Amino acid sequence: MPRRDQIHHTPNDSLVAAPGNVVADVGAKSREVLREVGSLFWFVINTVSETLERVRRGRAPFRAAQFFRYTERAGVGSVPLVAMVSFFLGLTMALLTGYQLQRFGTERLVPGLVAIAFTRELGPLLTGIMLAARIGASFTAELGTMQVSEEVEAIEAMGIGPLRFLVAPRLLALFSLMPCLSLISSVAAIIATALISRAYFHIAFVYFQDLVLHALLIRDIVTGILKSFMFGLLIGAIACYRGLTVKGGAAGVGTSTTSSVVTAITVVIGFDTVFNIVYIVFFP
Amino acid sequence: MSDAPTHVVELRDVQLAFPQKTVLEKVSLKVDPLDRLVIMGQSGSGKSTILRLILGIIQPTAGEIFFKQFEISRLQRRKLQQVRTHIGMVYQYSALLSSRNVRDNVALPLEELTRKSTAEIDKIVDEKLEMVGMMESKNQMPSELSGGMRKRVSLARALVMDPELILFDEPSAGLDPVISSVIDELIISLTDRSKVTSIIVTHEMESAFRIGTRMAMLYQGIVIADATPEEFKKSNDPVVRQFLSGSTEGPILEGSKDAVATK
Repeated sequence: MPRRDQIHHTPNDSLVAAPGNVVADVGAKSREVLREVGSLFWFVINTVSETLERVRRGRAPFRAAQFFRYTERAGVGSVPLVAMVSFFLGLTMALLTGYQLQRFGTERLVPGLVAIAFTRELGPLLTGIMLAARIGASFTAELGTMQVSEEVEAIEAMGIGPLRFLVAPRLLALFSLMPCLSLISSVAAIIATALISRAYFHIAFVYFQDLVLHALLIRDIVTGILKSFMFGLLIGAIACYRGLTVKGGAAGVGTSTTSSVVTAITVVIGFDTVFNIVYIVFFP
Repeated sequence: MSDAPTHVVELRDVQLAFPQKTVLEKVSLKVDPLDRLVIMGQSGSGKSTILRLILGIIQPTAGEIFFKQFEISRLQRRKLQQVRTHIGMVYQYSALLSSRNVRDNVALPLEELTRKSTAEIDKIVDEKLEMVGMMESKNQMPSELSGGMRKRVSLARALVMDPELILFDEPSAGLDPVISSVIDELIISLTDRSKVTSIIVTHEMESAFRIGTRMAMLYQGIVIADATPEEFKKSNDPVVRQFLSGSTEGPILEGSKDAVATK
């Protein structure tokens, strides 16, 4: 079985002439992806074990001030963006679905529709995408620059665990703040829907509230929150992993940052899909 | 392991090979307490790699590396981290954390690895910064400092845990001759005063002879000479002779890609 670098494509290679190449290419690519998934998995496991080791010795894993600096940057700093995007998306969604449903006289379904869509699906997903772009990129660039300028190695050489010192507070900040942000996203979208419903579909605020509470189930909310935790962990892990594995100077930092954002967004959407399928199949 | 502890560092037949290239063929070195061992060699000969091997940042392909009685490559992560706190490292480009000021950079190991109070940490940091003459720059950021000043801060950071061994990677690289002499003298006085053993990697002859109490020459992955500076100067080895004189005639360039430039 030829390795990836041993495969030579000549201009005459076509699927018919050399089907083996395609199979080998797909195989090599999949192996690469699986290797990355494995590395990422161990990256998270090692970070957790390094952090717990420290906790077992009776010491705080990192300084509270450092953790709050990240929560402030990742969480509080993201509120305006998340709220604004979700608000406008809520407006659009309410308006578009409302006009369609109005033809059948069922526009009072709009509040429930938007509320369910955002609490269990769009809220976490949108927030995940925005955080991957806003915070994931900055974590990768920051850690990547530290890696390139030997700072990470210096930290390691001092006997400080870089995973515990650099990765753990960032990971925990994203993990714990992601649900808060997706909550903000859902609330912003629901407020937007309330305004549209009032202005165009004559649904009074009190009636709106009734409709939303009627439509929403606890399980929608719990699903959304569970997903958010996972998204936060995934985005943080991918961003830090890509940052610490930067190779090749300034250009490497750039490539890794792009790759971090692309990977994180793809993984978030992919994970969301799988989660939904599993959820609907096993808990209908 | 009972035969190791007399030396601070010992490398036994260390080999480091990558698929494309063998960096270290078979390196054996012993460093006694209070030695200042200078490791010399061409650029890219694997000098700095030896320092990384001693710190356990990279693993040798074969051979053993001891720091006192600990075999570095066999240690568990936690033990390795503990051992590293007894070793200070001064990087070629200082490797200060660019987002922390001088004081915080020097205080970092104390804050993270000890249970000392802020007052105690401040006292130690001040003391070490005083030793390297950087008290005035305590609140500056690394980007505001010159190369020589950064190196001093880096030295203070390496000293802050009172290590038994300090590793220097090209301490005078990129510095002007005067500043590089100052750094050399600082290394000599600090290692004498603090009673630490040190290993210095350099290819600058002048500074090597100034600092070293022992010298080792690395060539093509092997230590070809290991002697006192006096013996070193008298060496008859053609490689050592060429390296000391900096001549383009001799064995070093033969078969080397750099030789193309001289023809």
